[in-house]
Amino acid sequence: MGGPISSKYYLISKKDLQRLLDSLSKKMPLFAPVKHGKDFNFKRLESGDKLDIAGYTNTEYPPRGMFLPEGEAVLEYNKGKFSENFFKGKAAVFGIRPCDVHALLVLDRVMLGHDHFESHYKRRRENTLVFPLVCGTPGENCFCDSMLTRNLVESFDLLFTDIGHHYHVEPGSKAGLEIIAANKGLFQESVHKAAIVEVPCKKKLDTANLPGILAKARASGVWDEVAKQCVSCASCTFSCPTCYCFSLVHDSGIADPEHVKVIRELDYCMLLRYSRVAGGLVFREPRKERVQQFFYHKLAYGPENEGRFHCVGCGRCITECMAHIDITDVIGRIRDEHDKRK
Amino acid sequence: MSMINGNEESYRPALAAVTSVLQENARIRTLGITFRLDAERKSFSFNPGQFVMITLPGIGEAPFSMCSSPKEKGHFELSIRNLGNVTDGMFRLRKGDVVGVRGPYGHGYPVQEMKGRDIVLVAGGIGFPPLASVVEHVIANRADYGKVWVLYGVKDYDDVIYRQRMKRWSKAKDLEVRMALETPCSKWKGCVGVVTKLFNKLKIDAGNTVGLSCGPPIMLKFVTLGFEKLGIRDGDIFISLERLMQCGIGKCGHCNIGNKYVCTDGPVFRYTDIKNMAEEVW
Repeated sequence: MGGPISSKYYLISKKDLQRLLDSLSKKMPLFAPVKHGKDFNFKRLESGDKLDIAGYTNTEYPPRGMFLPEGEAVLEYNKGKFSENFFKGKAAVFGIRPCDVHALLVLDRVMLGHDHFESHYKRRRENTLVFPLVCGTPGENCFCDSMLTRNLVESFDLLFTDIGHHYHVEPGSKAGLEIIAANKGLFQESVHKAAIVEVPCKKKLDTANLPGILAKARASGVWDEVAKQCVSCASCTFSCPTCYCFSLVHDSGIADPEHVKVIRELDYCMLLRYSRVAGGLVFREPRKERVQQFFYHKLAYGPENEGRFHCVGCGRCITECMAHIDITDVIGRIRDEHDKRK
Repeated sequence: MSMINGNEESYRPALAAVTSVLQENARIRTLGITFRLDAERKSFSFNPGQFVMITLPGIGEAPFSMCSSPKEKGHFELSIRNLGNVTDGMFRLRKGDVVGVRGPYGHGYPVQEMKGRDIVLVAGGIGFPPLASVVEHVIANRADYGKVWVLYGVKDYDDVIYRQRMKRWSKAKDLEVRMALETPCSKWKGCVGVVTKLFNKLKIDAGNTVGLSCGPPIMLKFVTLGFEKLGIRDGDIFISLERLMQCGIGKCGHCNIGNKYVCTDGPVFRYTDIKNMAEEVW
């Protein structure tokens, strides 16, 4: 993945996109947004399942699970031997939004960067084709404009833009070009870049000097107010596309002590158990410290460690919060306090 | 130093056998552990202060710092207190039983940088093991280091560990072991109180001394203040922090403090690197 791979663009009709997805879904698990109740979520499309994304803005839960599943048996112990269980084969995801691809770029830096890489994330990431779908109209809680995550110039195989009668397709990788070559009859060439009317986001989060402002705002009363509102349900971390924390849990082995699975399951820093050590001491016992952890990790430690905000402006944490905590509002209050002190 | 398995397989432990079980006191045991495969025995080495992840299939995995001399290749010792699932499982282990081991991980005490310096080590309770490894290293390389003070704070007389070791260490040149008991006891004639009380009688050349500590958070805080009061420079203070790591490779997030990860940035930190951290470290 990287910069532009082809100077050519393509068009595919909506009918032919369905044909393309049908053919792909026969070769590999293919995930796409599927409406269930009032929300869309990524589900596997079996061959013949119709793609129906009328009214789709973004999925309720992030696409993270296709790369970092909620629970995955990463290790097995069988009759005295340990073996690592890797994801095999290929997968593809259609309809992931650019902000969520930016979230994958954050996860890449965490999971594949620094001293070690996480081998299971690496396998899934390398073997999953990514077909993002450009956003025209943002959702009511989106603030991707502020986080600069609305546009995508890297990290996709084929980038789709709905231009009404057709989808405009931009290849972003060799694998993407190969798909076009193998399905020539479905695509027609185009010299134009996709042009769509972008409706601006209603919510804004001013990121100017934000890590610096947060560094000085540790003692702010705003955190006490947020902590009073928060009920530590962990919905924010559960719905965040860049949250990656996990635990390694052994199944009890009671049924068969000679055959044990070690599950890597996502864990959430909003929960008390998260920072508990042997003997019962909990390092982040006050709720305020857990609330701060969320905001500081996203907006201060992320830029310090990975050179990127761990927030892509998808707005899911705002939508999911039962206590109506809004990250754009909280940061706005922190910034106001900072500006008043100046 | 080389790692068992390493990157390609993030979590697969090597198999190792328990070779010795020493009952230190009613609640603490020291297990000797040796890798089963020749190749692993040859490739495994560590620095004092680093840690390994121990896996008991069906029970779980937990981090432990080695307490033995890093000189022994392919073999190490862990002192464990029966506090949780994994340590409870480890208390059931007998000689010959097999465990999973991966690591070593993290950064230990800077034994290279410490050469030529005097050393004050302050251990509290079950925080003693990584510092015991430092002491073993210093004794094995005695000429490389200056004077050494081992200060050990413990709650009750019956909690004391490493009695044999401390006797052996005391015979080494320019090495003093001092202990403070929090609870008075008829069997103990020495210092009663918290471990920092031992600082009062300490005469050190502060400019040439490094201060190392490991123990409960509250102790670390006061020992660090004590080191500063003795005149030891912040950059010469090294602290081993505890968190319950799950992965050991800087991914799972459990050991995150501020923008640091205890497993990869630590567990041993130079005080200047954590002094002004956004989040309270103690």
